[in-house]
Amino acid sequence: MSIRRFTDRTRKDEDLAEEIESHLAHAQDANTARGLSPEEARRRAYVRFGNPRSTRERVWRDRSLPWLEDLWRDLRFALRGLGKTPGFTIIAILVIAVGIGVNTAVFSVINAVLLKPLTYPDPQSLVEMRNTGPQGSFAGANIPKFNIWHQQTSIFNQVAAYDFGGAGLNITGGDHPEQVQGIHVSADYFSLFGAPVVAGRTFTAAEDSPHGGHITVLSYGLWKSRYGADPKVVGTTIQLDGEPYLIVGVIGRGFVTDTPADLWVPFQFDLNSQDMAHYFTVAARLKPGTTLAQVNAQLRLAADEYRHIYGKDSLPPNGGFGVVSLQQATIGDTRFPLLVLLGAVGFVLLIACANVANLLLARASSRKREFATRAALGAGRSQIIRQLLTESLTLSLAGGVLGLLLGFAGVRFLLGINPGNIPRIGEDGSAVTLDIHILLFTLGISLLTGILFGLVPAVSASRSNLAATLNENGSRAGVGFRSDKLRSAFVIGEMALTLVLVIGAALLVRTFFKLQAVDTGFATHNVISMAMSMSGDRFQKTAPVDQVIRDGTDRVLAVPGVLDVGVTNCLPMNNSFGMIFDVVGRPKGNSPFTGGAGFYSISWRYFNALKIPLLRGRSFTEQDDGAAPGVVIINQAMARQYWPKGDPLKDRIQIAPGAGPAFAEGPRQVVGIVGDTHDDGPTRDPFPIMYIPLAQMPDLETALNSRVAPLWWIIRSQADPRTLVPPVTAALRGASGGLPVAHIRTMDEIEARNIARQRFNMLLLTVFGCAGLLMAAIGIYGVMSYSVQQRTQELGVRMALGAQASNLRNMVVRQGMGLTLIGVVIGTGGALWLTRFLASFLFGVKTLDPIAFVAMPFLLSAVALVSIWVPAKRATRVDPMTALRLE
Amino acid sequence: MVIKRPPDAGDILQGTLDMLILRTLVMGPAHGHTIAEVIEHTSENALEVEQGSLYPALHRLEDRGLLSSEWGVSENNRKAKFYRLTSKGRKELSAATGRWRRMTRAIGLILGESNE
Repeated sequence: MSIRRFTDRTRKDEDLAEEIESHLAHAQDANTARGLSPEEARRRAYVRFGNPRSTRERVWRDRSLPWLEDLWRDLRFALRGLGKTPGFTIIAILVIAVGIGVNTAVFSVINAVLLKPLTYPDPQSLVEMRNTGPQGSFAGANIPKFNIWHQQTSIFNQVAAYDFGGAGLNITGGDHPEQVQGIHVSADYFSLFGAPVVAGRTFTAAEDSPHGGHITVLSYGLWKSRYGADPKVVGTTIQLDGEPYLIVGVIGRGFVTDTPADLWVPFQFDLNSQDMAHYFTVAARLKPGTTLAQVNAQLRLAADEYRHIYGKDSLPPNGGFGVVSLQQATIGDTRFPLLVLLGAVGFVLLIACANVANLLLARASSRKREFATRAALGAGRSQIIRQLLTESLTLSLAGGVLGLLLGFAGVRFLLGINPGNIPRIGEDGSAVTLDIHILLFTLGISLLTGILFGLVPAVSASRSNLAATLNENGSRAGVGFRSDKLRSAFVIGEMALTLVLVIGAALLVRTFFKLQAVDTGFATHNVISMAMSMSGDRFQKTAPVDQVIRDGTDRVLAVPGVLDVGVTNCLPMNNSFGMIFDVVGRPKGNSPFTGGAGFYSISWRYFNALKIPLLRGRSFTEQDDGAAPGVVIINQAMARQYWPKGDPLKDRIQIAPGAGPAFAEGPRQVVGIVGDTHDDGPTRDPFPIMYIPLAQMPDLETALNSRVAPLWWIIRSQADPRTLVPPVTAALRGASGGLPVAHIRTMDEIEARNIARQRFNMLLLTVFGCAGLLMAAIGIYGVMSYSVQQRTQELGVRMALGAQASNLRNMVVRQGMGLTLIGVVIGTGGALWLTRFLASFLFGVKTLDPIAFVAMPFLLSAVALVSIWVPAKRATRVDPMTALRLE
Repeated sequence: MVIKRPPDAGDILQGTLDMLILRTLVMGPAHGHTIAEVIEHTSENALEVEQGSLYPALHRLEDRGLLSSEWGVSENNRKAKFYRLTSKGRKELSAATGRWRRMTRAIGLILGESNE
């Protein structure tokens, strides 16, 4: 049976009519031939055939899909009905659009972050290599680990190393040097991630060995912007940090890495290195069919071998190796917060549903006579329900379309503000794109909400008593106890859900203010930072780096408006290195070393530039250079943790004992103690930090540093430091022989970025809470207005019998506030249970924060009171005569 | 959306009418009135075609591609729509006849046994 059946029905019907005519004529002929009179022949033919119209109808129906026709009729009817009450329709669609919009917004982020597979081919087999221990696992590797992982060919197809973030390289040779994002990778990197090569090739294993020469692979972006996508660029050289690098290939546009790269250079590891510094990440591709158990078993053997080669202290006692899927590693800890947000928007949607259901109930009760009439004309109950559901689905789908637009514009706007390091969303949320999943999600919740808020009013309307309704006077007749109760239940539900939302929002708002109130421990106002990449052969020793620092410090200080300038290899609140140390002469206890601490190399003015207070001893001076005795300054947290009783200033520290030749140095005298800084962000307690002068770093450590991290210049100024950027960068370029600076940000921005996630969450939940409040206010207003309207007669009678206006007003207020109060009690109970899921979002505020749990119920009650006041006032304006005459 | 009815579903009479129509048309193209008369005469007037069902059946068969039709002039010199069996219709007829034979034989067996 084909689609032909449903087409061209009008023509076929005419054809059939003619055919029936022909049949009747033939029948008449036959009857005449049997000797009947023409009239009788004709009559019998007609009698025999039956009703031609019903035959035609039957054929017509055979050629139709009845439900489709019914749906089309219901839809036209719904549109006509909704069009007649534009006010109701617009409000209902807007409320649904808000409810669906916030869900679409949050889902589109979840889709981009959690659901979309990684863009690499066969992403399920990609894993990140981890160091495991009792406290969990962390990424990061040194060359010996990479080497041993690389040998596990029974479980891995490829193993590749790449920079954590990338140090930045300077393209030189033009008029102005340009800092670009260069990522160090090992030879297998491109094949591991399936990077498409559009020109040339990637690195060979020989090129990725210590004497492999200066070579690079360009990204599509750099190839396009700098070379106009000219394929002949392969085989030519590019000047990086004053050295010519041979361009061997170009990677295609589709290759997206989490850290955007402009070009790649090979690590060129010396695999015999004993260097214990962890400064890169390692990923691997599992062999097809390898199970996690096999991987873990093999890695246990690898860890034993590692201990065997590098000594029993080379791994922590319970430590080992492990893997985690790359997708999971990329998503990190964003999963739970996003799901909590999805829960919150689910609440908003429920509130919207309750609201629209209430509007529909009120609407249905004023249409009771319409339904009764239809029922009297033979419409079945299911037909009335279907009709009403069509109406509600029409509303919800219209709301869904609007909500899709609203949600998508909204999420773009919010992500543009600064969501705070949500992985995988791209620059300003550019990776959050519309796709089939989002469309299906929105369609799904639209249909679901349409049924959810449509079903109860529809069933309740279809239950009406036919005779009673038709006998009542007009549409004003009471809608009955039952649906009044329903409406009250909806309002109570809205109130309760809203209260949970606003309590959650209040907790996040309080968290945010607590976070802002945290003293970072250093100056952030009028302080600006910029990164100078020290890559290249010039900076493989400490002295030339120190020379740039001294010269740069002098020149920047000479810029008018600059108050102070400091240099560091770790920008506070941005990134930090950790290092182990021994206190000279102290037993090591269970650990192979005394302890671990943050490890900052700084210039002598660093503490002044950031106004970090010196608590004891002395600060660094210009004289603490390579020739002077080794010195170290520690922060208060370190003094507290490692010298609970003794005096650190009397002790010497051996930094990086046994960490390999790069860190070989003698013990350093502790010369000072400085104040703590919140370098891990305001939510974490300050951790122990040791500071050494940049001028006293061992040469090999400087060389490593220059490879993996830039130098950060920190400038404090009198006024807005942004105005000083041109003269300061000029001064630095002069001091460094033309090196550019990048990543120019004020410390205020960096601090703001540290609490951006909390700010984002707070903004979202506040928006949700306000949406809930607004809808709850509309909801209770609607119900009370309707109630007053229904009770006009009763109010009139009361007034005629001498009730005061204030009596009537209070009666309405009491009724409304009664509903609110029930909602508040239920909502508070719900919040008591639900806020535990917010615990990980909070800082300095308990999940059962008394302020939130007292203030928010009051706020909700106040909003409700205002909404009830209007219909309550209306109740006092009832004219007894008019009211009674309505009888 | 095409809803496909299995050919042996539905009420037996309708299926039977379809089969009888197909069988009638084996002899050559015919219009509705002739088909009804042939069925009635051939069955020695035991079967009476309900004419309200005849045209829906014809159109259904045409929609399923078992018949084709064209307007022509009848033996009475009147305009009439002539139905013709298609090759698909021929196949369907032999299948339906087979089904019918199997069923009548089965029913016959049952009735025969219970009669003894």
